[in-house]
Amino acid sequence: MQRLPSVCCLLIVLLLATPGPCGAREYLQVFVVVPYLEMHTGPGRGYPVFNVVDRDQSVDVLVRYTEWFKVRTERGLVGWVSEDDMVRTVLADGSPFTFNRGDRAGFTSHRYEMGLFAGSYGGATLISTYGSWSFNSQLAAELAVGQFLGNVSTGATVDLGLAHVFLPDWRFSPFVTLGTGLVHTEPKTTLVQPVNRTEQTAYVGGGVRYYLSRRFFLRAEYKSHVVFTKLNSNEVVDEWKVGFAFFY
Amino acid sequence: MESGIRVFLLSAALALGGCASIHHLFHRHSDDGTQASADTSASAANGEESDSNPPRVIEPQVERRKIKVPQIHSHNWEFGVQYGALSIENFGTNPVYGLMGAYHITEDFFLQGSFGRSQGGLTSFETLSNINLLTPSERYYTYYDLALGYNFLPGEVFIGRKLAMTSSFYLLAGIGDTDFAGDNRFTVSFGGGYRVLPTDWLSVHVSVEDHVFQSDLLGVDKLTNNLEATLGASVFF
Repeated sequence: MQRLPSVCCLLIVLLLATPGPCGAREYLQVFVVVPYLEMHTGPGRGYPVFNVVDRDQSVDVLVRYTEWFKVRTERGLVGWVSEDDMVRTVLADGSPFTFNRGDRAGFTSHRYEMGLFAGSYGGATLISTYGSWSFNSQLAAELAVGQFLGNVSTGATVDLGLAHVFLPDWRFSPFVTLGTGLVHTEPKTTLVQPVNRTEQTAYVGGGVRYYLSRRFFLRAEYKSHVVFTKLNSNEVVDEWKVGFAFFY
Repeated sequence: MESGIRVFLLSAALALGGCASIHHLFHRHSDDGTQASADTSASAANGEESDSNPPRVIEPQVERRKIKVPQIHSHNWEFGVQYGALSIENFGTNPVYGLMGAYHITEDFFLQGSFGRSQGGLTSFETLSNINLLTPSERYYTYYDLALGYNFLPGEVFIGRKLAMTSSFYLLAGIGDTDFAGDNRFTVSFGGGYRVLPTDWLSVHVSVEDHVFQSDLLGVDKLTNNLEATLGASVFF
């Protein structure tokens, strides 16, 4: 029995030392059709060029980091190539190598968005973030999470809805939103014992987005929430916020 | 008599030769006629076929291969842990630990969210008077922060002759919330740090941030500065 731990250790060492099932990953191969392709030592414009790949040579694309591709040449050299250079390579069948880029066309039509806002929710300071998934260039599903910090109460909001973008190919494009959500309110301590509450909401709103550069755009938004309270009448809360967002 | 026989034989030979030549001539003409008629019918048939059906193209019996283009993996997301010290204004310096996550948008900018927890000590008033201003649960300092980061001074760190690691300084500015002393406060954070990547997927970073929020805890409403220094490690995926 005393040998059991040592045997286990030996097995673990053997398992770690044994090469696993051949995990040879296939990488995309692209060919250079311009006179040369510059390879940098790091994923940034300031990193020096240490190698060039000649025309008609190929490279394997290992991984992508923001606007840079890590590639490996036929001779095994590894370096980073900018997306401005990679867009001028071709695939094995001669078709151009295309990928999602952070430019104006990407702003018009993209799959995902994320953003960060500051604003006001019923007079309280609001911190909010959102993410969206686009069905097409005009319609997207959005999920927003926020926290409001007021003098009277604090709380959190969650909204889920749809956004319709008008004129998505314009730099300055308006949109409307519609959806539902929850609001959790924690009144600050007063003479009476406060009661935390969570209520359902529905909202309608609108806003504008303005393309800045690369993957960034500004977004300003207004929402009118109807809070379905347990009281005799519902409550209406105005929310506005301004922030920046990016797409990818 | 012999001459009569010779004349008869010669006449017979000529007659047979003439018949054979005539027969051969006849047969040759009939063959030509048959071949000509066959050629004519064949050409007519071909003409009809070319009018009704286009010429057939040989269909390849090889199934077309579906070429699967390998996906390119991106390393834009970062997730990690951090540990350090937090100086809570009036409440001393204490250990802080937390989580961080980031999305690298471009080579210059990234969006970072961080969450941390610490615990405030005693104020000098509490130490001198033996009166506790806060309960133990109210001394927990919990914060989150959503910040925009900017990479500047990118470079490389060289260890020996063969190992080079990419590195970068970065600036952070963000907003968030601080839960301390039984209240939540809107907090503005700003700071900076230094990041080294030993591999493409691993990052080691040190950062210093100031968390600023309005507080009236000690009787006067004022901005409090809470400095935090952390060491962290994160992975890219």
